[in-house]
Amino acid sequence: MENYYDLLSVLILLSSFVLVANKKTNAYIKTFRIQSAFIALTAGIMGWSSAVNEGKYDILIVCAIIVALKVIYIPHLLNKTYGNIEYRIEKDFFLNIPILIIICCGLVVFSYFSVSNIGTLTGFHINHQVVNSFSVVLIGFFFMISRKKAIGQIIGYLVIENGIFVTAMFSTHGMPFIVDIGIFIDMITAVMIMGIMVTRINVKFESINIDKLSKLKG
Amino acid sequence: MINITYLIVQIIVVIAIAPLVNGIIKKIKALSQKRKGAPILQLYYDLYKLLKKDTVVSDTTSWIFKAAPYIVFTSSLVAAMLVPVTTMLDPIWLAGDLILMVYLLALGRFFMMLAGLDAASTFGGMGASREAMISSLIEPSILVSLITVGLTAGSTSSYQIMEYMKYVDTPLIRPVYFMAFIALFIVTIAETARIPVDDPSTHLELTMVHEAMLLEYSGRGLALMELGASIKQLTFITLLANIFIPHDQLILISGVGAVVLSVLIYVIKIVFISILIAVAEVSTVKLRLFSIPNIAALAFILSFIGFMQYFVLGR
Amino acid sequence: MGLVLWIAPVIAVILSRIVNNTKQLHIISVCASFIMLLAAGFVTNSVVSYGTLTYKFFVSAFYIDAVSIIVLDITITIGFLVSIYSIGYLDEELKHKKTTSKKIKFYYSMMYVFIFSMVLALTVNNIGIMWVAIEATTLATAFLVGFNNDEHALEAAWKYVIICSVGIAMALVGIIFLHLASIDVVSNENALQWDLLYNNAKDLNSSVLRLSFIFILIGFGTKAGLAPMHTWLPDAHSQAPSPISALLSGVLLNGAMYAALRILAIVNRNLDDSGFTGKLMIAFGLLSISAAAVFIITQKDYKRLLAYSSIEHMGIIAVAFGLFTPLSVFAGFFHMINHSFTKSMLFLASGNILQKYNTRKISKIRGLLKILPVSGTAFLIGLLAVSGTPPFSIFASEVNVFLSIFSAEHYILGAVFVLLLAFIFAGIAFTLFRVFYGEPQESQYIRRGETNKPGTAVLIVLMLIIAGTGLYMPGLLKDLITSAQMIIIGG
Repeated sequence: MENYYDLLSVLILLSSFVLVANKKTNAYIKTFRIQSAFIALTAGIMGWSSAVNEGKYDILIVCAIIVALKVIYIPHLLNKTYGNIEYRIEKDFFLNIPILIIICCGLVVFSYFSVSNIGTLTGFHINHQVVNSFSVVLIGFFFMISRKKAIGQIIGYLVIENGIFVTAMFSTHGMPFIVDIGIFIDMITAVMIMGIMVTRINVKFESINIDKLSKLKG
Repeated sequence: MINITYLIVQIIVVIAIAPLVNGIIKKIKALSQKRKGAPILQLYYDLYKLLKKDTVVSDTTSWIFKAAPYIVFTSSLVAAMLVPVTTMLDPIWLAGDLILMVYLLALGRFFMMLAGLDAASTFGGMGASREAMISSLIEPSILVSLITVGLTAGSTSSYQIMEYMKYVDTPLIRPVYFMAFIALFIVTIAETARIPVDDPSTHLELTMVHEAMLLEYSGRGLALMELGASIKQLTFITLLANIFIPHDQLILISGVGAVVLSVLIYVIKIVFISILIAVAEVSTVKLRLFSIPNIAALAFILSFIGFMQYFVLGR
Repeated sequence: MGLVLWIAPVIAVILSRIVNNTKQLHIISVCASFIMLLAAGFVTNSVVSYGTLTYKFFVSAFYIDAVSIIVLDITITIGFLVSIYSIGYLDEELKHKKTTSKKIKFYYSMMYVFIFSMVLALTVNNIGIMWVAIEATTLATAFLVGFNNDEHALEAAWKYVIICSVGIAMALVGIIFLHLASIDVVSNENALQWDLLYNNAKDLNSSVLRLSFIFILIGFGTKAGLAPMHTWLPDAHSQAPSPISALLSGVLLNGAMYAALRILAIVNRNLDDSGFTGKLMIAFGLLSISAAAVFIITQKDYKRLLAYSSIEHMGIIAVAFGLFTPLSVFAGFFHMINHSFTKSMLFLASGNILQKYNTRKISKIRGLLKILPVSGTAFLIGLLAVSGTPPFSIFASEVNVFLSIFSAEHYILGAVFVLLLAFIFAGIAFTLFRVFYGEPQESQYIRRGETNKPGTAVLIVLMLIIAGTGLYMPGLLKDLITSAQMIIIGG
């Protein structure tokens, strides 16, 4: 069982690397969807084993919510937002892909060194999964910094959220149920708000390039 | 004595199977495009035909041009000897390991590039420079992923790695091996000049890499070059098959029967990996030359993440 | 009765979605906040008599102690004053066709979503839900920051949402590590309950807890406007409508600081030493004060200047909690109260100024005391107070922070602190005091007199509060702060 979790955590990490290596906005959305599907799978396996062993169904419900929100609804919402945008032919990132990827490799090493000392608490499997999922958080951050378009930033935020969720899944088998629900509500609201703002920014600034958002200084 | 017998068996098996892999991949590609395609054994016929033909050598070339096919062929063959085709075979007295294998292949590639430059045709130079770029981008991933696997086994000898892998239960669900497998798979595609890095079936001057270097060859030289390339391809496929899909059911049987059986299993695994490669080739498109660093980066992150997993897991 | 605090804003949100008439919206808003004020008084009373207030049937999710009651009372009082001020402010905006009645409806509903989530954050026991509520405050105020819907407001709102959401996500990482640290100590049903964590703090895993605190401080520090994560704050505070700026500065920042403080208490109890948290808090605090000092002296926009002053004061509060002596924690709470009232008064006054002069530039404003006698006076008094002049209460709390720095024998820190505060005082005096005198420019046709009548009343009340607390501290307040300080320090 632990081997499957190991593999899934690596696949989730890998999908965030693929995200950083992507160039087009719809490819970001697709990769995000794949990543979320892996997360749903992880939650599904975990929920199934907790349902069988302990008779608790809350992780399975969380899994269903992930499928509904992150795999289906949010990518759909982002695609719709992207469809509304008129000015989309713009260069999105300013470093080339191999350099971005090498920096991400550095982030993995960094998270290894910063998180691995918590191994005293738990088994090394958990430690390893937490290193991977914490790297996803860092890569999400880096993705946000490396992209100039507003939609890229939304995806970066979602990837950070994914990474946090996976960290919670692997380290403590999920947060308390009610907190998880609250986090989902916040996340979906945040994405909706950001989506509306992207549309407005597109209208006002005739671009979704966030370099144009530089009027307020000092 | 027994080692020499095994070695001879291995040479025969490698030379006999190598062209088959090309045939299988071509056939699958043809079928996917709803063509009938060339027969699976086409490369054998080609090689036979080429060996019979005369060799035409340009006046301007030096000895390198003539020597290159032999060097390429021999280095590929020796490299293939360092990888046991079945774990029953143990060519360990050749005292080589995976790092030697990688650099023997690099030696062959180096002479192939020199030969491409030697004839001073524009295409040869272009092909050589592209080949140099691709191979330098790909090499880190090969080494990192092989060394990662070697670290888990505690050796860089391919025989010992394969021995170790026999006792690892379902390696492909373990992150270390999974990542190394995909990285090596991408490396194989890049090294054997397949789509998306190079298109083996084209002679369009703008895109060809491998073919551009062979453009001046004819007759026996071309045959050796082609055979050398397919042996190199087989070597990589063998690595993939024998490290990541180990089998150890044959320990109790010994003698000729075991060798025959394990060669059969080997052939099945080879066919399986060839099908994977063909599927990968069919489902992608040829990339621009300047996008190849991205593929190389992908292979590198895979091998790197695998390496990190080894570190984190501490095994 | 405590549950009224949750129900009243929800009802206000629902009603303001239904009602269309602007006048009725005003009435609903004032009623709701008045009811909350009464409920807050009741809850304060019961906290003073019994220590903590929880409801068993809520699985003790509802939890109020002296720490939360201080922040809660600030929140609700300012919420009430702002709801009164908003009547005049929005009517004035409506008169000049700067807004529509539909947007006013939206304004009120979002404002009460904000107040609800703020109150929720302050009254729950579960740290996870506290996080959810604090994130919800960001989301509720996002469109309020972008209320004017011009390019600047949109830019500010976008930065606000992105930086705060991502920053607060860091706090969630920290909370996950906190959960991890406590997984063997607290059973899964009671996971992340603050009182259990606090009581069992000694058994938590220290190394994970340290890691967790770093993330939590970065996360909630972003929301509290600590440098270098403060970049959203000046934009959001200057672009939001002034009553919202008052709420952001007086309420939201405190909420984030409160959440960080809760976890700080756990960590310090676990480590039995405030050195680790203290270093981090003081570093962030001093950085915030110095960043604010630099930007204040070169500021050309008075609302941004006020925003930077908020960063400065959050820095002072962070330093005070970082020192973690009884005196400094007392001063920290007292400073929180003083800063909230003073800063919201300043923002409310600046709203009147903005409506009158129609500019955010300091250089275009002259003769403020003549044009707007009450708002001008409030602005002057507020500026004197925030820059730390006696006899106002901010002076008193700042002096307490100095004293605790020096009595903890951090002489260099104390010297830097005093120097930076002096620098900020000079900066504010240099950039802003010129607005009170002289005559408005010829080209501006500005009529004398206050337009926002309810707002003027609010400003007078606030002036009385500020002047009063500077001279005399009520015994009730002192008792509350002392018991909050006892909770945080322990023992």
